[in-house]
Amino acid sequence: MENNEQKNEMTAQQSLNIISEMINDSRRTILQSSAKHFILWGSLLIFVSLVVYGLWQSSGSPVWNVVWFVMPALGFPIVRILDRKDSDIPQSKINMNIGLIWLTYCIFAVCISVIAMLWVPMNLTLVLVVIFGFAQCVSGFILKNWTIIVSGFILGIGGAVAASLLFGPEQLLIFTIGGIMLVVTGLIIKSQYK
Amino acid sequence: MLPKLDPLLHSELRLAVMSILAGVEDADFTYLKKQTGATSGNLSVQIDKLSAAGYITVDKGFKGKVPCTTCKITSAGLDAFEKYVNALKEYLI
Repeated sequence: MENNEQKNEMTAQQSLNIISEMINDSRRTILQSSAKHFILWGSLLIFVSLVVYGLWQSSGSPVWNVVWFVMPALGFPIVRILDRKDSDIPQSKINMNIGLIWLTYCIFAVCISVIAMLWVPMNLTLVLVVIFGFAQCVSGFILKNWTIIVSGFILGIGGAVAASLLFGPEQLLIFTIGGIMLVVTGLIIKSQYK
Repeated sequence: MLPKLDPLLHSELRLAVMSILAGVEDADFTYLKKQTGATSGNLSVQIDKLSAAGYITVDKGFKGKVPCTTCKITSAGLDAFEKYVNALKEYLI
């Protein structure tokens, strides 16, 4: 592509090769960058869930659940720094839709948590884990990756059952597993689009 | 009879740029340069040609204090790209 004027003798096959090469390369670059977000949020989820678990377990008080709000407070500034580094990488429909799914999840999670803590007590873990599994499943469909789809399904359904059977701080370990799944999703995307 | 291929798209670099832009919201010059491996001068010339044909829009702005040229495919560009790909398929049948 270095030479100036155009090679009009390009065959149809060569043209198609250029198109598919460019689309695949661009898709790979964009998705590689979005994998970082999965790894970041997964790591934060593992860390915060274990911290809340430890504090709740040792003090016996569920009031430590308030530490969950540290997650968006810490996560979004880190995302901004990561995105600034990749500022020349464009948005594709795929990473834009995945970003919107998880942003919606985050808004739902914060709103439901506030409602449950202040006004209407509910099995918060069950609600959050079901929509978490749903978001994971939909992300898998968008990425056309069966591992992510199945892990989302298992997390959503299995998590709902576990949230009904477990009580107290043990419920938090469901989110630790969710965090591990997010990290694994990020690693799958990274390896899939290497 | 085989359809005529759009001469504006039937060139390596312009086709590469259009293929990238067809899959993203918009892309800046640095990204296009990195993905296509083209020189700045050549890429700039081809972008101007695509822009003059109405296939893409070019916005020159700033990212912080750094100048930034952003390209976005237009609906006419997307139509032309689609027709080009369909025409190519007929060549291969």
